[in-house]
Amino acid sequence: MKITTEPQPESKEPRWALQPTLDELGQNARLLIRLRWVAGFGILIGTIFTSAVLGLDLRVTPLLVIGLSVLAYNTALFFLSHNDMPREGFERIAWGQILLDWLAMIALVHFTGGITSPALIYFVLHAALSGMILLPWQVRSLTVLAILIVGGLAWLERAGWLPHVTIDELDLHNSLHKNTTYIAAVMFFFGSTVFVLSELVTRIVQRLRQREEHIRQLLEARSTFVRVATHELRAPLAAGLSLMKNIEQGYAGELTEQQMALITRVIHRLEGLRTLIDDLLTLARSREATIAHAPLEPDSVRAMLVKIIERETPNADHKRITLHNDLSDDPGVVMAGPIGLQIILGNLLNNAIKYTPEGGDVWITYRVSRPTHTVEVTIADSGIGIPAADMPNIFNEFFRARNVKETQVTGTGIGLSTVKTLVDRYRGVLTLESEEGQGTTVTVSLPLASKQPPREPL
Amino acid sequence: MANKILIIDDDPDVVLALRMPLESAGYVVSDAHSQESGLKAVDQIKPDLIILDVMMDTHTAGFQLAQKLHGPAAKVEHKAIPILMLTAVHQTTPLRFSPDEDYLPVDGFIEKPVDPKKLIAEIKRLLHR
Repeated sequence: MKITTEPQPESKEPRWALQPTLDELGQNARLLIRLRWVAGFGILIGTIFTSAVLGLDLRVTPLLVIGLSVLAYNTALFFLSHNDMPREGFERIAWGQILLDWLAMIALVHFTGGITSPALIYFVLHAALSGMILLPWQVRSLTVLAILIVGGLAWLERAGWLPHVTIDELDLHNSLHKNTTYIAAVMFFFGSTVFVLSELVTRIVQRLRQREEHIRQLLEARSTFVRVATHELRAPLAAGLSLMKNIEQGYAGELTEQQMALITRVIHRLEGLRTLIDDLLTLARSREATIAHAPLEPDSVRAMLVKIIERETPNADHKRITLHNDLSDDPGVVMAGPIGLQIILGNLLNNAIKYTPEGGDVWITYRVSRPTHTVEVTIADSGIGIPAADMPNIFNEFFRARNVKETQVTGTGIGLSTVKTLVDRYRGVLTLESEEGQGTTVTVSLPLASKQPPREPL
Repeated sequence: MANKILIIDDDPDVVLALRMPLESAGYVVSDAHSQESGLKAVDQIKPDLIILDVMMDTHTAGFQLAQKLHGPAAKVEHKAIPILMLTAVHQTTPLRFSPDEDYLPVDGFIEKPVDPKKLIAEIKRLLHR
């Protein structure tokens, strides 16, 4: 049998026309609506100012009607767009608002002097905006349409089929709109500017989208890798440890004292490896959460402590450690990532139990600090403490204090650095007080959430 | 009569590690190594308890099988067999499973690596409910 691999086609360049993300569509819709409030009021105020204060001979009524129409359809758009709208909704609104803007602009241009109107420059602005929110082919079509519309308007006014509005102060001889050379020159510069500008904006936007897509793929690949690697590392370890425990518990026959001592050591080392793998996964996930800016949600401190204390109680009982806690008052909620609070408090309590010798005590308390509007959770233990010389490095990744390494406690030195990363992210403060042999007190201070965050207004 | 226990796990070493304490505690142990063969074995052997691994050929094979055996569409005789789910989820990892009628219809969990004493205790609890 013979197998030949197929020659692979050259890897394709990333798709040129990347769709905007839903997030981007929403942001753009909001941006345009905000800009349009300014535009609408700008037309109203500008018209009144120029005619009343500067004394220019403007067609006030049609211009005010245009300004009011802009405000009217912007109000409609404001109420039509929701953050949770489907993609098609945003796309329809994107098209709709650009077409409405163009109608308003062409009317504005017509009533302020056609080809001689300074308002023509607004089309340039709009070419840039459409480059931001539409796909390249849509932008090109619209640009051609813009040139045709403005050219058509100039031509209709020149031929006299559409009355030309003259602002005397701008066109002294009232003949500029009939000057073919002038029209041609304006159309050339107008057309090329609109075209080049919209093309530039489209390209920049596409490039940004490509990068964003690239980053998204990288992050996805990385988290897939971490997940797969962890599972692949864990599975054989778990199988091996399960077999070892059978030997340790005598299911494979009696062991000599020496064999038992060796098996216990092996199990101890493998448990250490297992903790390392689990911690690495937690670290990778919390980094991911930090990088990906997973949205922060309100999380109850008390509920989380109840859950974690319940989880750690067997570990504490095993070492006859007493967990002192009073969780009667509810300190409220803090803003944290989906698993953040669990990692922070879980790690701290786990450490306290881990580094406290048999028969010791661990205290869990919290209090609300009114002036700073924070909740302070304190986990104190009567454990081995941290040597003063090691305190500066205590939050560093993979760092383990000297006295910890001397004990038989397994650990990886990842826990506290992960806790610090997360506390930093939630704008909290981590305080650690310790004296070797006297125990350790860790206080996490996290800002309290002020109820539900309001929905982001458009 | 000794209770019959069916282990559904694709890792032969894990199966062995489960088998040793169970057999020495007097249970009759059989095993299957995939979702399909597991389902067949349930009907053939009619076990008193099933030990089911979460991740087999796919990451969710165990969940799917649990749904087939205990989900809303499951047979009455299948629903009567308690399922002990084997997970590799460590306590510090964010995902915590808890028995849930609708989502994950199993009766208990045991963590990998398996502690034989805990395993026997959990099996006794489930069989003598």
